[in-house]
Amino acid sequence: MKFLGDWFVVLPAAVLLLAAGASVVMRNLIHAALCLTLSFIALGIVFIALGAEFVGLVQLLVYVGAVAMVIVFAILLTRPDRLEKSRTPFSGFGPAGGAAAGLVALVVLLGFIFSSPLAKKPLPAPASAPAAAIGEALMADHVVALIAIGVLLTAALIGAAVIAMEDKA
Amino acid sequence: MSNFPGSGIVKGLAVTARNFVGSYFEKDRLTTEQYPEERPVLPENSRSFPFLVYDGDDPESGMRCVSCKICEKECPPQCIFIIQDRDAGGKALKRPKVFDIDISVCMSCQICVEVCPFESIRMDQDYELSAFDRFAPLLLDKSRLLKPNSYYRRIHPTEAAETDARVESERKKKAATAAAKEAAKPAPATEGAS
Amino acid sequence: MIGMIERAPVELLGWFLGLLGSFGVPSWILAVVSAVIIIGTIIGVFLGLFALTSVMERKILARVQNRYGPNRVGFFRWRLCGLFQPVADGIKMITKEDIVPRTADKVVHFLAPVVMMIPALMVLAVIPYGRDMVPADLDAGILYFFAVGAGTEVAVFMAGWGSNNKYSVLGAMRAIAQMISYEIPLVIAAIVAAMIAGSLSPSAIVAAQGGFAFGFVPQWFVLTPWGFTACLVFYIAALAESNRSPFDLPEGESELVAGHLTEYSGFKYATFFMAEYVGMFAVCGMLVTLFLGGWQAPLPFLAVIPSWGWFLGKICFVAVTMVWVRATLPRLRIDHLLAFGWKFLLPMSFAAFFSAACWHYAGRGPAAWILSLAIVGIPYLILGKSFSNRFAVSRRTYQFSE
Repeated sequence: MKFLGDWFVVLPAAVLLLAAGASVVMRNLIHAALCLTLSFIALGIVFIALGAEFVGLVQLLVYVGAVAMVIVFAILLTRPDRLEKSRTPFSGFGPAGGAAAGLVALVVLLGFIFSSPLAKKPLPAPASAPAAAIGEALMADHVVALIAIGVLLTAALIGAAVIAMEDKA
Repeated sequence: MSNFPGSGIVKGLAVTARNFVGSYFEKDRLTTEQYPEERPVLPENSRSFPFLVYDGDDPESGMRCVSCKICEKECPPQCIFIIQDRDAGGKALKRPKVFDIDISVCMSCQICVEVCPFESIRMDQDYELSAFDRFAPLLLDKSRLLKPNSYYRRIHPTEAAETDARVESERKKKAATAAAKEAAKPAPATEGAS
Repeated sequence: MIGMIERAPVELLGWFLGLLGSFGVPSWILAVVSAVIIIGTIIGVFLGLFALTSVMERKILARVQNRYGPNRVGFFRWRLCGLFQPVADGIKMITKEDIVPRTADKVVHFLAPVVMMIPALMVLAVIPYGRDMVPADLDAGILYFFAVGAGTEVAVFMAGWGSNNKYSVLGAMRAIAQMISYEIPLVIAAIVAAMIAGSLSPSAIVAAQGGFAFGFVPQWFVLTPWGFTACLVFYIAALAESNRSPFDLPEGESELVAGHLTEYSGFKYATFFMAEYVGMFAVCGMLVTLFLGGWQAPLPFLAVIPSWGWFLGKICFVAVTMVWVRATLPRLRIDHLLAFGWKFLLPMSFAAFFSAACWHYAGRGPAAWILSLAIVGIPYLILGKSFSNRFAVSRRTYQFSE
């Protein structure tokens, strides 16, 4: 079954890469947004297949249910196909330049990932109740980070509401 | 207590529930007439298209129409077509050979009924006259138009009673004059014999 | 005997798999066959329930409105009170012409009903239908339910956008706004039950509602102040999530034709319709699991009726109340709908959450009950009064007629 188990990770990962690539390349912006949503779903399945069920399900709930919708709303409400194509200092390099930049970013990221101390530690045994374990860890060990993120989110919400209200006046 | 938040919704739910339960137990809540099984009761004066009345059992011999063609002349959209019957020698008989009414043209104005001197054409109440074609099945000929006097009495009781009374009084008057003529005749015959 | 009826579905499956195994079928094929049989049974039962519900809803609505519902379509000569109406509806839907607008986005327009149906069916996997009858006993089952249920919003958007019709897009955006707004009270109300039960697994939540207090009172969460509030919040949010009246703005006939479903005809419309009803039953099932005690009987001696029978009965009861609510309440306007969701339902769900926590930490005794009732009741009265005062009608004065 381990052979089958590997395919459960490899196939969604392949879908993820293809969908992400398609969403970058596609001309129609809504199709690109839908391919991005597909890549979010594939990423959630990869998490679940790797054993991190809680993270995978939260990925589906938050990214597919909320973030994808926000992206779609933004595209619908701003009609970006009316915008002119902007020229940046790097526009002259074309797709080859973009691919080269992506490759450089990938190499740098992989370097950081493989040289980090987390990669050298052995994987801990999965907790019997992962949701409870995550909850306890958040509330006990990382409670400061949790509250700081909450304050940041509240500030962002209030800021967005203030900006929107000013536009109306 | 009546403006307790949410009490309006609860009262509405109670009304709905009462309607639901009542529709099973109270007879007069559901006013739907289940059509092919229950037909609506039409008022007596309602009318759809004309028909021909015949007395007795045989349609051809009991037919009241004498082919006077007054209804054909008076019909506003001219939907009646009559051909008078002729006997073997070519003499006109007092009956129609062809009597057609086109009900796709007829406007149910009842003028033919008003002008008929012989009480022979009357208005029917039948509305289930759908056909599969627009033209030919909606041209009613004599055989479809002839209906017995008992049918007429059933659909228009008061009109039929009035008509029957009139026909009866006419017949009595004719019988009285014939009897009077009969009474006046034998006197010269007996005088001639003696 | 009672135990046999109770265990019948599971035993039948086990017997059949044993039979196949004795023929030398390898174990992984047995696992696949088992999964297929379970999935087939669930889909069959729920699609049958969908068909039955579509005709029962019409008949119940009709009786409430003092008329007969569909009562003609039967089987050969027998009228059967019109219960074969779904067959006639199905034939009509299948034989209708499938019209796709010429300028519509073909791929997106085609995939939208499919993407709508998939989450509606997938969420049925974590609901416990009876004792030991969960198709997939996940530890984070509640989370799975809401995560997969969020996929319907993508489908609604695809339906609205793919039709290339500005009214469809408008309807889709309103539908998505409604679904996102009501998802938060839905999840928080579910978290209340999960919090008190101490687990995210639906079977553990059902087990936490087991037992009888004083020997005959069931310990369902709906019979507590915080549970009753959370159940009502979940119920109202569930009505909004499945686009049912009084929240059926996206699909009412007089609202932008049919909103995001305008350009769908024939079988695609039937798929959307089916997905909506299956989603409604799934969320009814989750409500029964979280608050109404799942497959457990309300009184000890009523356990003679099998557990899956109780579950089916409870789901049908909740579905009938949804039809009852549809027959009673008028449709909410979009601004009323969103205001209700954010300004009333969300604070009430937080109040239920806080009340449940206080009930637990106050020791679950009589004092805890009174405290939790106060924590739920006071915000309800305050919020309710503030809402009803805003729309109060005052005496009319005509400025120019005096």
